[in-house]
Amino acid sequence: MSRKFRQWVDQYQDEAWTLARYLLKDASEAEDATQEAFVKLWKHRENVDPERIKPWLMKVTRNTCMDRLRRRRDEVEFQEYQTADDHGPMAGLHQTELGGWLKQAISSLKEPYRTLVILRDIYQHSYDEVANATELSLSQVKVYLHRARKQLREQLAEVRP
Amino acid sequence: MNEKGKPGAHSDDIGKWEAQINALLDGELDVAGAEALKAAATDDQKLARDIIEAYQLQQAMEQLRPERAPASLRRKLKKIPRQHAERPVYLQPRWAAAFAAVPLAVLSLWLAQPQQPSRAEVEQAAAELALAFAYIEQVSSRTAGRIEHEVGGELNAAVGGSVIKSIPQSESKEKQA
Repeated sequence: MSRKFRQWVDQYQDEAWTLARYLLKDASEAEDATQEAFVKLWKHRENVDPERIKPWLMKVTRNTCMDRLRRRRDEVEFQEYQTADDHGPMAGLHQTELGGWLKQAISSLKEPYRTLVILRDIYQHSYDEVANATELSLSQVKVYLHRARKQLREQLAEVRP
Repeated sequence: MNEKGKPGAHSDDIGKWEAQINALLDGELDVAGAEALKAAATDDQKLARDIIEAYQLQQAMEQLRPERAPASLRRKLKKIPRQHAERPVYLQPRWAAAFAAVPLAVLSLWLAQPQQPSRAEVEQAAAELALAFAYIEQVSSRTAGRIEHEVGGELNAAVGGSVIKSIPQSESKEKQA
């Protein structure tokens, strides 16, 4: 079983880590949250449907991150911290105008919009997987995602010459 | 807000073309719908720009790949099965203590139990006791004869006749031991 678990680690660690990184905006805390999610996976490995490991793990990673965010009492301080962090998952795209803008735009999205965009538009997960991971209905996922995309497009229109 | 902390999800909020654009991006728009959208975009510059921007946005996001997890995290994740391995039941502390207590209890009971001699030992002891009594009887008889000879017949019965009977059996055993 530990061999199977190592396969899951190899397959999903980057996605879980990146999601945590997007949500928490802190590398050290994202590392802790990802580790916590995988420990939960290890402990519940017998009960999780092997076919649905990825959405299960994404859901647990997201919930773990949300718990951590809730524990941050001072929301204003958190927002300032977010802006100060310039080494997020999309830092590599700073070299391009669109990439740099995209980083700021996705970071500015509220939940659950941000997670939906990450899971669906960046990770290319299916709608079912996204709904499962976010514990939203399929129709909610579609409507929220449409709004998130529209919001991003509107922001894009503002920065376009 | 239809749920706590979550925005409302009413498809009415989304414009007609907005839903079509998203369906197009998701590959869910049928041919007729695509044709209708194309025709509308021909006459509507804003709609045409929205479609182009939606495509550009989608392409930009598809280029974003998950970031590689840091080596320190990778190492930690690989160690999880070893660090969180469940011990066999008999190795768990509470069960280990319980299992260790069982032989101790058995040993204590065995030590606390009085020692019971075997049947052979009892028979051997009885034979030795009988021999001892026979010897004492013989000695008493000789002593009585000597007393009678030296002192007189009065003391013979008091000393020699009841020697065996007057010695309690337990006392005899102690002496024998």
